[in-house]
Amino acid sequence: MDIIDTLFRLCSLDGVSGDEARAAETAVDMLKNYTDDCGADRFGNVFARIGSFDGDKPTLLLDAHIDRVGLIVNYITEDGFIKASPCGGADRRVLSAQTVTVCGREKIKGVVSVFPPHAGDKKVKDIVIDTGYTKQQLEKYVSLGDRITIDSEPRELIDGTVTAPAIDDRAGVAAILYALELIKGKDTAYNIFVSFSVQEETTEAGAAIAAYASSADLALEVDVSFARTPDSKPEECGEAGKGVMIGIAPSLSRALSDRLIDLAQKGEIPYQLEVMNGRSGTNADKISVTKGGIPCCTLSIPIKYMHTPTEVVRIEDISSTARLIAEFALNGKGE
Amino acid sequence: MFDILKKLCLADGCSGDEGDIARLIISMLPADCEHYIDGMGNVIVNKKGAKTPKNKVMLAAHMDEVGFIATYITGEGYIRFAPVGGINAETVIGRQLHLKNGTIGVTGTKAMHQQTKEERESDVKFSQLAIDIGASGKEEAEQRVRQGDSAYFDCGYTELGDNMIKAKAIDDRIGCAIMLKLLNEQLPYDIVCAFTVQEEIGARGAKAAAYALKPDYAVVLETTTACDFAGVEDEQRICELGKGCVISYMDKGAIYPRQLYDMAVQKANTLGIAAQTKTLIAGGNDSQSIISAAGGIPTLALSVPCRYLHSPACVIKKEDALATAELARAVFEELCIL
Repeated sequence: MDIIDTLFRLCSLDGVSGDEARAAETAVDMLKNYTDDCGADRFGNVFARIGSFDGDKPTLLLDAHIDRVGLIVNYITEDGFIKASPCGGADRRVLSAQTVTVCGREKIKGVVSVFPPHAGDKKVKDIVIDTGYTKQQLEKYVSLGDRITIDSEPRELIDGTVTAPAIDDRAGVAAILYALELIKGKDTAYNIFVSFSVQEETTEAGAAIAAYASSADLALEVDVSFARTPDSKPEECGEAGKGVMIGIAPSLSRALSDRLIDLAQKGEIPYQLEVMNGRSGTNADKISVTKGGIPCCTLSIPIKYMHTPTEVVRIEDISSTARLIAEFALNGKGE
Repeated sequence: MFDILKKLCLADGCSGDEGDIARLIISMLPADCEHYIDGMGNVIVNKKGAKTPKNKVMLAAHMDEVGFIATYITGEGYIRFAPVGGINAETVIGRQLHLKNGTIGVTGTKAMHQQTKEERESDVKFSQLAIDIGASGKEEAEQRVRQGDSAYFDCGYTELGDNMIKAKAIDDRIGCAIMLKLLNEQLPYDIVCAFTVQEEIGARGAKAAAYALKPDYAVVLETTTACDFAGVEDEQRICELGKGCVISYMDKGAIYPRQLYDMAVQKANTLGIAAQTKTLIAGGNDSQSIISAAGGIPTLALSVPCRYLHSPACVIKKEDALATAELARAVFEELCIL
């Protein structure tokens, strides 16, 4: 499995929170390389079961979210402009003059309206999308509630660095797929339940439902976190290229964090720590309180410019994340 | 004309770096044109018509576009940069840019989750932004980028909605495309067309071209600010897509001779060409330099209304561009014998 190729395919797909079906379909196809027991549940979550599940082994849940941030159509004006609002925490500062795709009955292109410098420093208050159609023409393609993605083509920057939209959290999906590749045909310590869950960016409902269905004994949540940019504080960030970020937080299982650190050291897998002081802000917050409580830890891939169309990730950070997942799946949580 | 426009918009050439776009335009000139490049880089094209006109008429459109220039490479390998021409930084954050040599980079700041409320709500400034080409340090970045290199929005040319076009640099490649269209037609009179440089940093190329050519009249072919989108009312819309060529009576750089303005409006009416004027005094173009050059040259500006000027997604409507081309020819012919 080529990580860049997989990531490019995943990041080229739409799938704004609550509208993940097309992205889910591709993810299911990718999972078929590792098991026939996979599909989408009635809530849209992608699942895969790898192992006998006959009571011989505990179950490990590997979760990443399949949805992405974007916009949602709220209103169509008399003169044919769309008024939209963020669906998930899209960074509003990056929207002006972006080219977007409205995922309606047909996909159509639009531009986010902005005043030019010639008009002084006027600001457009609402998020206005210009599709070039009249209201009547537009209503053939677009309905209220349709999702909108911001266009940005996945590209390779200097060797091993990639920019794309939706790296949050398609990089996590790619890391889990690569981990499955690494353990393929090997005897694992667990039955493995994979979930690519929906709606993380809005409600985290997908993970709550998937975790319940998994009946997992423990879980790893694979998401992205902040890599340092020139304007951010080093103490609030990981660093791109320095490896998987192992979470430590009151809401996470410290025993799991310690075991993951131990495995990373033994396996010479580059890692860094991500210390949080409460909840993790990921699906782990939902998973850890599912059923009677599922011990959970986060593995985060450091990315730059999160929630913008030009997120940036280093492929080596996806592969170190996958390697640590694989080590854990093979060796287990220990004593 | 729109095939030509597409090629012109996808080419690069910000102010002071118009070499590539100039070569592309020259390659598109028909065989019966003569051209030269002046000391500033303006491309001057002469074409013989059926007759020598009473008045020498110059058409002008600028080749340059707004863009960026790399100013500094940081120790971590990020490229600091500045706008060339007027660009709102809010249209630059979260984009792919390419350097002149094709190196791709992106712009961004720390994640919104890490921003304070004030940071989230305040305008982005160029000083906060850097181009990230994925370099792991200064040395790696310096292998790809030099200080002073131009950079551009990396965005495609897309047809949009009901007969509209979206691209960078429509300002003023559409003016160039209209001149190329005219140069490909049989004309009743001799014409001189100036594809000018450095408009975006103060209409500088046109000043030299007008001085050297000393025409009796000039017509500037341009784009102009349309703010006709949802939430903008009345005169604040300035002009509107779909209502035809914009004939200006005044902008921030020039007051157009009233008799020329009236003549153009009348031509449009007589010929049934869609035309409008601006409802605010806004913008400016090469006219500001031409009108006072060489002892004074009566000048007219005909513009294609354009949304989101100086952004990666300028939007025009095809009918407006065609109306502008048609009116430009009619006005040229009239000025030749005025």
